[in-house]
Amino acid sequence: MILSVILLPVAAGALVLLVPFKKRSQMEIFLESMVILNSILVWQLLLHRPENIFTLANFTGNLSISFEVDGMGMVFGGLVSALWPFATLYAFEYMEKEEHEKVFFLFYTITYGVTLGISFAANLLTMYFFYELLTLVTVPLVMHTLTREAILASRKYLYYSLGGAAFAFIGLIFIIIYGTTTDFMLGGVLDPEKIGSRTNVLLLIYVIAFMGFGVKAAICPFNSWLPDAGVAPTPVTALLHAVAVVKSGAFAIIRLTYYSFGAEFLKGTWAQDIVMIIVMITIVYGCSRAVKETHLKRRLAYSTVSNLSYILFGVTLMTPMGMVGALSHMVFHAVMKISSFFCVGAIMHQTGKSYVHELDGMGYKMPCVFGVYTVSALALTGVPPLAGFISKWNLASAAVVSGNRIAYGGIAALLISALLTAIYMLTIVMRAFFPDRESEREAALKGALDNVTDPGWKMLIPLFVFTAFIVIFGLYSAPVVRFFTDVAGGVY
Amino acid sequence: MELVQNFPAVSILLCLFAGIISSGLKKKAARWINTALILAEIVLNACTLGYLLETGESYVYVMGKFPAPWGNEIRAGVLEALTALFFCVIMLLSLEGGRKKLADEVEEGKTYLYYVLADLLLSSLLALVYTNDLFTAYVFVEINTIAACGLIMIRQNGRTIEAAARYMIMSLLGSGLLLMGICMLYDLTGHLLMSNIKEQVEILYASGEYKIPLLVTIALISVGLSIKSALFPFHAWLPDAYGYSTVSSAAILSSLVSKGYIFLLIKIIYRVIGFPIFYNSRIIDMLFIFGLMGMVFGSLSAIKENDVRRMIAFSSVAQIGYIYMGIGMGTQAGMSASIFHVLSHAATKSLLFIAAIGLTDVSDGSRKFRHLTGAAYRNKWAGAAFTVGALSMVGVPLFSGFISKLLFAQAAVQNEIKMLPALIVLGISTILNAIYFMKTVIRIYTPVGGNRYDTVTFKDMKSYVAMLICFIALNVILGVSSQPVTDLIEQGLAMFS
Amino acid sequence: MLYIILSIFFPVFAGIFLLAGKDMRNRKSLLLTVSLVLIVTTVLTILAITLMGGEMITLFNLTDRLPILFRVDELSVVFSVMVLTVSVCTGVFSFEYMKHEEKEKRYYGFFLIVLGVLLALCFSGNLITFYLFFELLTISSVPLVIHNRSREAVMAGLKYLFYSLCGAYLCLFGLYFIEQYGNTLTFSAGGVISNTAAAEHQGILLGIAFVMLIGFGVKAGMLPMHAWLPTAHPVAPAPASALLSAVIVKAGILGIIRIVYYIFGASFLRGTWVQSVWMILTLLTVFMGSMLAYREPVMKKRLAYSTVSQLSYILFGLSVMEGDSVTGGLLHVLCHSFIKAALFLCVGAVIYQTGRTKAKELRGIGKEMPMLMWCYTIVSLGLIGIPPTGGFISKWYLATGALSSGIPVFSWLGPAILLISALLTAGYLLPVALDGFFPGESFDYTSVEKKEPSAFMMAPVLILTILSVLMGLFPGHIVEYLSQIIEKIV
Repeated sequence: MILSVILLPVAAGALVLLVPFKKRSQMEIFLESMVILNSILVWQLLLHRPENIFTLANFTGNLSISFEVDGMGMVFGGLVSALWPFATLYAFEYMEKEEHEKVFFLFYTITYGVTLGISFAANLLTMYFFYELLTLVTVPLVMHTLTREAILASRKYLYYSLGGAAFAFIGLIFIIIYGTTTDFMLGGVLDPEKIGSRTNVLLLIYVIAFMGFGVKAAICPFNSWLPDAGVAPTPVTALLHAVAVVKSGAFAIIRLTYYSFGAEFLKGTWAQDIVMIIVMITIVYGCSRAVKETHLKRRLAYSTVSNLSYILFGVTLMTPMGMVGALSHMVFHAVMKISSFFCVGAIMHQTGKSYVHELDGMGYKMPCVFGVYTVSALALTGVPPLAGFISKWNLASAAVVSGNRIAYGGIAALLISALLTAIYMLTIVMRAFFPDRESEREAALKGALDNVTDPGWKMLIPLFVFTAFIVIFGLYSAPVVRFFTDVAGGVY
Repeated sequence: MELVQNFPAVSILLCLFAGIISSGLKKKAARWINTALILAEIVLNACTLGYLLETGESYVYVMGKFPAPWGNEIRAGVLEALTALFFCVIMLLSLEGGRKKLADEVEEGKTYLYYVLADLLLSSLLALVYTNDLFTAYVFVEINTIAACGLIMIRQNGRTIEAAARYMIMSLLGSGLLLMGICMLYDLTGHLLMSNIKEQVEILYASGEYKIPLLVTIALISVGLSIKSALFPFHAWLPDAYGYSTVSSAAILSSLVSKGYIFLLIKIIYRVIGFPIFYNSRIIDMLFIFGLMGMVFGSLSAIKENDVRRMIAFSSVAQIGYIYMGIGMGTQAGMSASIFHVLSHAATKSLLFIAAIGLTDVSDGSRKFRHLTGAAYRNKWAGAAFTVGALSMVGVPLFSGFISKLLFAQAAVQNEIKMLPALIVLGISTILNAIYFMKTVIRIYTPVGGNRYDTVTFKDMKSYVAMLICFIALNVILGVSSQPVTDLIEQGLAMFS
Repeated sequence: MLYIILSIFFPVFAGIFLLAGKDMRNRKSLLLTVSLVLIVTTVLTILAITLMGGEMITLFNLTDRLPILFRVDELSVVFSVMVLTVSVCTGVFSFEYMKHEEKEKRYYGFFLIVLGVLLALCFSGNLITFYLFFELLTISSVPLVIHNRSREAVMAGLKYLFYSLCGAYLCLFGLYFIEQYGNTLTFSAGGVISNTAAAEHQGILLGIAFVMLIGFGVKAGMLPMHAWLPTAHPVAPAPASALLSAVIVKAGILGIIRIVYYIFGASFLRGTWVQSVWMILTLLTVFMGSMLAYREPVMKKRLAYSTVSQLSYILFGLSVMEGDSVTGGLLHVLCHSFIKAALFLCVGAVIYQTGRTKAKELRGIGKEMPMLMWCYTIVSLGLIGIPPTGGFISKWYLATGALSSGIPVFSWLGPAILLISALLTAGYLLPVALDGFFPGESFDYTSVEKKEPSAFMMAPVLILTILSVLMGLFPGHIVEYLSQIIEKIV
């Protein structure tokens, strides 16, 4: 069952390439139904969780490729499977104007399976395996346009990701050697007898592995691949670089911290201080870069950099509450960021504009898109009662409860970042709806706003659904957060 | 004595005979004899391996009448048989994969010579693997060198002659040092058979006499063999030799010849000097450091390289660095990781060379990156194979490279002092590997406008594709079910001492 | 229950409906709609105030521990009455004034939303609800600031937005901690900080209190985060400036009252470094605001600086934490909002009728618009604090409260600075009136035309003037009502 949800998208992707579809619409229907089917299967899996670990193959000795649906896996798998059908729908309309769409959809759909593989991995090795695979299958997506820029970006992406994995690998080795098992267990698997007096070495390795997985989660100073990778078509940047890829990094770090090394082992050590400080720096750094950027997608990419570190900030608190904060921001940020990315994609698709200063007065021409964008901007900023507020609240109160003095600084970082977020997100809203007179006149002279309309239903439906999620999560988050609390408490 | 026990000796002799016969034959016949020979070797060595696994212990085969300490001996253990088997398989695949290129690059009249040299090379490799006698080892080292030179030079242009000359000089330097080492050992112990030397060395070491000569001996042998196997910083001969010779030669040289010397070194460490004594000398740290440096600098040179073949050649420098790092770790685990990497690298590197030739052929024969753009679309199989090789080199799970990395890292953790440098360099080296290999992969998958170059189809190159598939399969098998292989290596190492 | 919810959400939804809906057929129907909404809101609010007896109404729970909660207490009554009066007056004033601005529908839409949000702030029963609407207030009032969309206005709007958000986040910072160290987030007179937390974490809590003071102080134009106010208020259309200066800034004041007296509790802060620093800041702001206003030639900017200064009168009263001074502060909340609204509306009427914006251009204006200028003069006197206007009463309470507080230095320094500032206030407000009525001999009397504004503009000004005078004449009831609040919180 678990294997089937991982393999089905791969098979569907391959079929897209092999089957000669007569019309584009046939391919769309086929692909969409496969993706939806897979999502249904995933949810079926989440609702009726198989208790046992499913082992596919033994690598060497005690290392195996095996799968399991546990709490964390449920969160990430559920998130991915909820977003993917919408993203695919959106991609159909967006990709109309691009070439080689079959290859695109091949890798796009395979990525779905690989991401599920990450979320349902039962041990560190399996996760590492799918983690590497994710890098490889997403590279063709990044270089899709095949411009020089895209190729440079994909190269950078590859180097960073593989390099990061190389250091994460060291962490894997230590878990193999010093852990009782490599399976994920809440609370960690380290064997105190084996560790003996080598605590400091292990802490160092934790920091190294954190940085390694952190590359995908775009922590400072390893974040420059993310904005560059924004050259990919928007469905890719949205889904992969706001949800699947970068969240896999965060997911891997959660696994590493809570399920392999164990929060208790790390709490209160210098390793915690170091990673927390790095994360705090990233939070502020990402935001300030986003303020400076005028290219829409790069701006959002830097916003992702900072928001990912929100998640990691929750992780580095090393408390169950911190994990709840991290999980809620992981889910909520995914929805908010994918929504705002899709808006930007719609703008680029409809108008070909991609810079902030080209948006003057566009809000009235594309009311739906900019309305949705405004909601997601406010949510990212953390305005109550939208989803972003809830996750930030969870993060910050976890930080307060942790009693860690550095974490107090982290709260300040969160708030500074919230202010900067307001600056870079809301200026776009302001320009769209309240352009100053001169710019408006200039835009009108150039005819920039002629023939600009909202996109078609395939793009709009995902946007509205995401907006609904943002508002609903904001108003009524109790059940979700309770579920996260259960996950962090090890109920699943 | 059972029939199977004769096989190692027979296999060596068979090669020599095949070589001698081939030298008098035409091109085609030489080729068939060569292929048949290797197939026979594979069978022989597989039988030996099976026999050894069945009995569970190694045996010594006395050549001729005289017993130790005078006679010449062959020793067969699991590790020897496994390595020999593996070498034969790689040899077969490399020759077959580069066959077409060979016809293009080597003069019609000299082709038979190529097979003669290949036969000789195989014989010397098998002898290096099986011998229990240091002097025999030395003799076959020389044969090996000469055969390798010939393999480089047989494609005749200015570059290869220069490369061969360089290889010759460096190799002879290495052989010279090795010879001096062997002489000193003989002086110290009065023996040439490995087992006998080891007894004497242990007594000497225990008595505390001749400490410095012993150390010098170890150093001479290690350095000699390091030069021959192109350990950084003795690698200057390597890029030209691998880069300009015909592709089969490059594949054989990189994956077999240098590995043969490494195997000999490991054998000397265990069977002549003794692991504890070697461990206590400083030489092991030197090997470790040179290994680490090789991992970094080899890759750095590869990144700078603008020629795909030379890039792969420089990558070998880095990979040999891995192996020496494993040896230098001074643990059983490090050693078995090194041996696994010997196998894994042999499988991967020859794959890369063979695949690269497919790519350059569809780019007007140019090996510059600029011209390789989009080559993977023109030769799909070579592109896919190159990608597999590259991923394996980078250490992506599912391929053999990942397992080597895993074993190296696991071994590193067991040595507290060397752990951190080893792990960090391993990480850096992975990044560097990723940089130049992935750059190439992306380059070959970047489409190029217009139809300036030819496209080859599957029909044109059936045997080539078959070889590529075999290589890929070998890689994946080593990557997915490595447990049996690592078990064999552990078992073999246990038999060594 | 219903009335509170309705009084908040009816104007909000009406506003959203206006924004989203199609353009009205003509101006009249738009104005009719708006006035209808205003009337209904007023009725609903009055009903809510009179019928609700302090019970708590939970709208829903944001998370398990964060209810959105409304409650009407005495303080809410004071503030909601003030909000409603000023909003209705400025609303009516806009009917005429907005004729010469474009996109009226958008203006009224946001106007109504702001009104609803302001009422929600008054009725908020806990800190999280307050914070929620505090943010919404910022966001929904930005469009009012940038309404005329000159580049200057847009920049000012952004400045306003980011300053306010900055303030809000400072408050949020404190909020996180209070959620942890307080017994509850619900406003309760005397504070909610648990005794153990107060003892163990006093240092942190004081720091938090200070951060939150600064945070809400942004909206209230307190040093060091006051710079947005003189930029943003003048660029808005005059009725919007009136609303901003008279009411929206009071949200900051309300926030400070809520956290000081209902969350931390006066007893926790009294005598700490937070109180001293806070006093210094308010006094500095009072003085600096007046000085800047005195030097400012453009009328609307002058009034904005005046707002900076006057708001800190209120804050000074609150910072003394003494019965009389707090009464003075609350009285001044009412006075200042009526007076400042009236002043802005006067200036707006002048701009609307004559297009003059600078003080020295207003020479002889009294001859052109005598009635308007009379109102201006009366409320100016009130702001300076000359009896019998409301300003005198509030300042009297402020001064006596400070003098009797027994806080060293500040008990006499405070009143002294208030006095100096009052002189400066006279200096920047009265010359306009004097020159307006007595332009001097060089003035060309022949060119004077009667330009008295229409009833829509005149009536709100008159009402506000009368209210401010009435407050001065009959302060008894109000002071009595306020004393109910003071008893509980001080």
